[in-house]
Amino acid sequence: MSKVVNIAVASVGGQGGLTLSRILAVAAVLDGHSVRTGETLGMSQRFGSVISYVRIGRKVLSPTFSVGEADFLLGLELVESVRALPLLRSSGIAIVADTLKIPISASLEKRVLRVDELSKELMKVSKTVIVPASKMARDVGNPRAANMVILGVFQGISGLLTETSVRRAISEVVPSKWLETSLRAFSEGLRYSPSGQQ
Amino acid sequence: MFNPLKAPEGVKTALMGNEAIARGFVEAGVSVVVGYPGTPSSEVIASLHEYGVSSEIYVEWAVNERVAFEIAYGAAIVGARAAATMKAPGASVALDPMVSSAYGGVEGGLVVLVADDPGPHTTQTEQDNRWLGFLAKLPVVTPSSPQEAKDLAVSAFDMSEELKLPVILRTTTRVNHTVGEVLLGQVRPPKRVSGFRKDVPRFVRAGMAWNLERHRWLDKQLNIAEEVFDRVSRVRNIVEGSGRFCIVTEGSAYNYVREVVDEVGVEARVVKLSLLFPPPRRFLAEAVEGCTDVLVIEELDPYLELVVKSLLSELGVSTRVFGKVSGHIPLEGELNRGLVREAIASLVSGAPSGTPKETQSKPIPGVPSRPPPMCPGCPHRSMYVAMLIGVSKAGYKRGEVPVFGDIGCYALASQPPLEAIWTEHSMGASISMAMGAKVAGFEGPVIAVIGDSTFYHAGIQPLIEAVHKRVDILVVVADNSVVAMTGHQSTPAWPALESGRRAKPVAIEDLLRAIGVDHVEVVDPYDVDRMVSAFERLIRQPGVKVLVSKHPCALLEARSRSVRRYRVVEDKCTGCLACIRVTGCPAMSYNGEKVVISSDDCAGCGLCARFCPYGAIEVVGSE
Repeated sequence: MSKVVNIAVASVGGQGGLTLSRILAVAAVLDGHSVRTGETLGMSQRFGSVISYVRIGRKVLSPTFSVGEADFLLGLELVESVRALPLLRSSGIAIVADTLKIPISASLEKRVLRVDELSKELMKVSKTVIVPASKMARDVGNPRAANMVILGVFQGISGLLTETSVRRAISEVVPSKWLETSLRAFSEGLRYSPSGQQ
Repeated sequence: MFNPLKAPEGVKTALMGNEAIARGFVEAGVSVVVGYPGTPSSEVIASLHEYGVSSEIYVEWAVNERVAFEIAYGAAIVGARAAATMKAPGASVALDPMVSSAYGGVEGGLVVLVADDPGPHTTQTEQDNRWLGFLAKLPVVTPSSPQEAKDLAVSAFDMSEELKLPVILRTTTRVNHTVGEVLLGQVRPPKRVSGFRKDVPRFVRAGMAWNLERHRWLDKQLNIAEEVFDRVSRVRNIVEGSGRFCIVTEGSAYNYVREVVDEVGVEARVVKLSLLFPPPRRFLAEAVEGCTDVLVIEELDPYLELVVKSLLSELGVSTRVFGKVSGHIPLEGELNRGLVREAIASLVSGAPSGTPKETQSKPIPGVPSRPPPMCPGCPHRSMYVAMLIGVSKAGYKRGEVPVFGDIGCYALASQPPLEAIWTEHSMGASISMAMGAKVAGFEGPVIAVIGDSTFYHAGIQPLIEAVHKRVDILVVVADNSVVAMTGHQSTPAWPALESGRRAKPVAIEDLLRAIGVDHVEVVDPYDVDRMVSAFERLIRQPGVKVLVSKHPCALLEARSRSVRRYRVVEDKCTGCLACIRVTGCPAMSYNGEKVVISSDDCAGCGLCARFCPYGAIEVVGSE
């Protein structure tokens, strides 16, 4: 990998955005790459905005990147994906779950947010894949595994990491009772990805 | 799951900086690790608990940072290798014993992890604890990556033992919470007590002549610190590249510097320090020799900048030094690649500036903000709702009764719609600051809100003060039986600890009665009506009243019992939003016509149903 690949993971606290970035990091090291992730954790950020940076390359030092530097945006929620969009470079690819969690600030103002409108906002980017990740995760019996579905789609589209390493990374990071359904959710995402359908 | 503490030497894996530090402590043969939870430091002890360590190693949360440091210090003077962990303000709580420890010194290595937070992301100030070096006269070392964090955690012990001084391992968020590849090293057996030789002049700070003598000893040790660091540390002070344009940096800032210098291709000599105090004068003098311009790139205060300027002035060299004082690097906030690129571009002709122009969209206007709220079912929310109603039932306007907050999840009530607290200052300050308002002559009632762990940490003495001085004050202890905000650590009320050790619970109610509080009442905030009437009554009552709002953290409760969930009956909902305006619960939202409750998120507290004027919210399955 000659240049550093930057991945932004946008989510609402509690959705598993940090787990997703951790799996990417573990898989990258298994594949022999250098990796850094940047995130802030610890404060009760459940239901708050969470952005996580992942950088993979031959030699990576900085844990974060700036606006317009992301090659991929992995979004677990639509509002947060729209918020994170400026991080994506013009040639970048957004892979986003069609999940909508309306922030309290919007409800208090009686502001209406809709899945189709937010999706359209994201589609203005040349390459955006909207994934019914929550439904797919429910279908494999683990509603919390939408992050693994997105990981699968990313795997299919990017081919950045080896599938063997990603699967092993999932097993190193995800607690054993959720492991089987997580791997299945990952497989479903892989199958859903445009390249997986070929 | 992979266990980074038990994996053998030579394994390379992705670790978070704090996990790497935990591994480093184990590799160094630590036998006592104590700390108080605080972001971004908590995962060191949390990892030691999660992955498990030998029973030879004592790993526990202490009641506060001062106690944690003193336990570690006591262990170190009897020959054990010990560590204390804390966030930036925690270092101030531990400062008194830390300063004295420099005079007594240690026998076993003692490493104090102090995690600063440029940004700040989760800390009340951008306190720069590198100054602890000058203030406490203790060596300070800093890593720039998870690998260096692990290696320095080991080397800091070796350095501490050789110098016989506690060593401060000072980190920043972007090291503590960064995941990166780490090559694991050899684990040494835990170094426990070796004996305690009585040495009164060394360990008794009551003798002023002894203290002067020990101060001289301390300065001698600091004089050899650079030489010891060079000899024992696996992470070195380094010079990369050459040229007359020099950049002096340390820690996280180095990562941005190295990448930007390589990317833009400027000729620069990069000097990276890992020993921050005492400043490595011999190394630095050599490293900056021949530089015409020095740019100091660092986060928080212009610490290194002043060190470099003072050294150059001593050397009689008139090199120009740029940095925070000259305005090339911002004084506030954390650095990033873009800011570093701009600073270099402003000094080196031809270097490209700013961020890449490939940005495809500006921030999209009107994306609604999503600050961290209290969770669905949070007992604090019910308590605050009852408080605000109780205040008005007692005959006061909301704006007439100041609510002094404290540090913890319950400070999230500063956000709309509750906007309940007026201050959030430092651990324990709610009670003393409310007392301050009263003794200054504030006539109306005042309320202090403090969490259970914060009460144990620093609330007990303020309460003694308030009782003793007969102040009229209502104190709410928001007791959810856990240190919730930092990730659910144990409190002194727990009968069994994360480590598996059994403990003797220290009950808050017993403490309150022992202190002599005039009126103690314990109410479950889920019983909103009882809570409202308690507030209404206690606000008007004279004396020191403590209302313990007792209900387990909703996140933990959901794990231990099945929760009933609520739903909105569409026919009855008018979309008036009373439920959302009262509670601000993030499980609820407005879809343009009605309110919707997310079944994934509802924790079943029922607060929304209590405040729906149309009876449109009911328990799922009750229809």
